[in-house]
Amino acid sequence: MREVAVIGIGQSVFGKLPQRNVVELGRESVWTALKDANMSPKDVQFAYVSRLYDAMVTGQTILKEVGIREMEIVNVENACAGGSTALLGVWRNIALGVYDIGIAIGVESMTTSPIASKLIPPAKEDLEGQLGMTMPALFALMARRHMEEYGTTVEQFARVSVKNHHHGCLNPFSQYQKEFTVEDILSSRMICDPITLLQCCPNTDGAAAVIMCPMDIARRYTSKPIKVAACVLKSGNYAYLQDDITFCPTDYKAAMEAYEMAGLGPDDLDVVELHDAFAPEEIFRYEELGLCNRGEGAQLLNSGATELGGRIPVNPSGGLLSMGHPLSASGVRVVVEIARQLRGEAEARQVANAKTGLAHMMGGAVAGLDVGAVGIQILTA
Amino acid sequence: MAERVPIREGTFIESAKGGILLANRCKSCGQTFFPKSSICFNCFSEDMEEMELSRIGKLYSFATAYMPSVHFQPPYTVGMVEMPEGMRVFGPLKIQEGERERLRVGMEMEVIIEKLWEEGETEVIGYKFKPVIS
Repeated sequence: MREVAVIGIGQSVFGKLPQRNVVELGRESVWTALKDANMSPKDVQFAYVSRLYDAMVTGQTILKEVGIREMEIVNVENACAGGSTALLGVWRNIALGVYDIGIAIGVESMTTSPIASKLIPPAKEDLEGQLGMTMPALFALMARRHMEEYGTTVEQFARVSVKNHHHGCLNPFSQYQKEFTVEDILSSRMICDPITLLQCCPNTDGAAAVIMCPMDIARRYTSKPIKVAACVLKSGNYAYLQDDITFCPTDYKAAMEAYEMAGLGPDDLDVVELHDAFAPEEIFRYEELGLCNRGEGAQLLNSGATELGGRIPVNPSGGLLSMGHPLSASGVRVVVEIARQLRGEAEARQVANAKTGLAHMMGGAVAGLDVGAVGIQILTA
Repeated sequence: MAERVPIREGTFIESAKGGILLANRCKSCGQTFFPKSSICFNCFSEDMEEMELSRIGKLYSFATAYMPSVHFQPPYTVGMVEMPEGMRVFGPLKIQEGERERLRVGMEMEVIIEKLWEEGETEVIGYKFKPVIS
């Protein structure tokens, strides 16, 4: 397998942008990534493009707007891990020597989708969805159970949101740009007890793009190639094998596989971007990614370790809570953000001397599985 | 009278004692499944036998939703109940006035069968859990 490098990154502004369609958002991310890689559109040999809602040949409709045509374009869907799936397709084709230069794109326009201003619906015919399961309900059940098992409090969940909104204020791409207190978070409208509105990520429009090539030619395009040390995609396991709903075994196994592939461990990480669709979730993911022991997620948060300036800053971008969550874009966006950090280009939200980072995205609620899919990448400067 | 249809065939029965959930068990390795599985996901055996679950389990977690779902208007409460046979079952909770604040993880819940929602002239029935009144 060849060593693969990230050589170009691009992102649209994130927000509620109903006047800007999927093609415009996608085009902005692709054009920015091409400029970032000092690359002509004709250098791109293949693309993997992810979109969830109302998708049909999304990649072609975006790429024709930058002069890219007549090549291999694969359109993929994998719920919130769709962007991770696009990245895997590009990374593996380059690692195996099939192609040299490829682009992964994630894009979503939630405000113009059929589910605009609604909750993300369960899959049709999903038994639990029919019986009242929703995304907030799923995470509320996990949150309640974490409180019961480990004594975690609603104030601790709220502190995740306070932290990520603080980070988001330092990020010009973030949808929210506002500080909140624990009291603000807890007194916002109840969505699904114990989760309040400001513990939920907003519905968001946006796109992100990443260009990769073999490391041995990366310096033709950039002075700061970022190595993809691990790229893992894993589908969920049966929920009946899960001993505790607050700990997703598939997420844990995907992380362990990524560490093994990279030859690194959680202690080697300088920065993490992870799936925080609901504030309590970030605490569960600390435990699954091995940032702390099982059951100690709230203590890790309390210690300040995961804030900017702490030992292992998590979601310095503001995360999904503050950035917003254009579903298929988020898996690509977290890699854009980690690459920025490792290049030292994250400005006000820069993690000092960041050399190794982990990007994580997961999604898809299916009755009977612990998760739909998990995507994890480890990048090194 | 409205026609009553189950939310999913073969997931429950209404007995004289009350609602009973139908699971199945692999005759080869003993793994149990709810809802029933056509094969064993552990050992891939097709030799499965139906079993009735106990009528009472323990509340594993719960949440009250203030946003609508596919079929329910808020507020409504859902939960996961741990059955003595070892599985966790998700479903709506039937809560009397004032009972919501008294829900606790670990309390006993019993299976009931009743209307979930209506579709024109049809009533869709299914399982819910309600606190055991002691």
